[in-house]
Amino acid sequence: MRKVVAAPLPGLDLRQHYGHHQSPAIRAGGLIFCSGMLPIDPQTGERLHGTLTSEAHVIFANLKLLLESAGSSLDRLVQVHALIYDSIEYDVLNRVYRQYVASGPPARTVWTAQIEAGFKVELDVIAAA
Amino acid sequence: MSSRREVIVASLFARDRASTFGPAVSTLVRGGDFLFVSGLAAVDPDSGERVRGTTASETRQILVNLKQLLEVAGSSLDKVVKVNVLLHSMLEAPNMNDVYARFFREPPPARTVCGARLPDDAKVIIECTALV
Repeated sequence: MRKVVAAPLPGLDLRQHYGHHQSPAIRAGGLIFCSGMLPIDPQTGERLHGTLTSEAHVIFANLKLLLESAGSSLDRLVQVHALIYDSIEYDVLNRVYRQYVASGPPARTVWTAQIEAGFKVELDVIAAA
Repeated sequence: MSSRREVIVASLFARDRASTFGPAVSTLVRGGDFLFVSGLAAVDPDSGERVRGTTASETRQILVNLKQLLEVAGSSLDKVVKVNVLLHSMLEAPNMNDVYARFFREPPPARTVCGARLPDDAKVIIECTALV
């Protein structure tokens, strides 16, 4: 069984705002697979460029909204891929990251990649449903 | 004890199947209810040779091959839950997206797209997870 998790707020529908051919998240086999999470305004879809820290705060807030709308939560993250624009910011990412996954953190891999629209960070996650 | 892990299809290509060592990477592995598909670059399904083209044409070739691989393994594009697309440049994302949208029917899978340095001058690599 494969079910779409709809955008809980209109801004989180990247397909509507930017034409990305993707669902916000898919629930299947007891897991929730999220599309790459970006720092966008959850109401308007506007891109919120900033520092890696400010972008990560927006992303975690959006991820929380999306997961909770699907009956999951940040505490139920299983795996996180954190894409950052430059590995020099690794410690900066960790500082924000710790605030959201305090105890029993998920499996994680961080690497450097080119992120869409020149963002500094993107999170690609799987959570338990 | 029954295994929850099974290599389903090592390769589409007779040449790989006949090789002494087999392909270095299993193309599809089943684990639990899921099929995990290795990152695919654009190859000609008959010869196994790499096809070099535009981001759009490489995307098309990869998705044609992916469709066949999934169907051989008893799954389909409609059962894909998550796709990761790696591009040689994020400037090419719209070129990939236009072709991509023709392969995945409603509702499309979750997806992450990023730019990365790809092996063998590939312009696109696509990996995915699907339900069996």
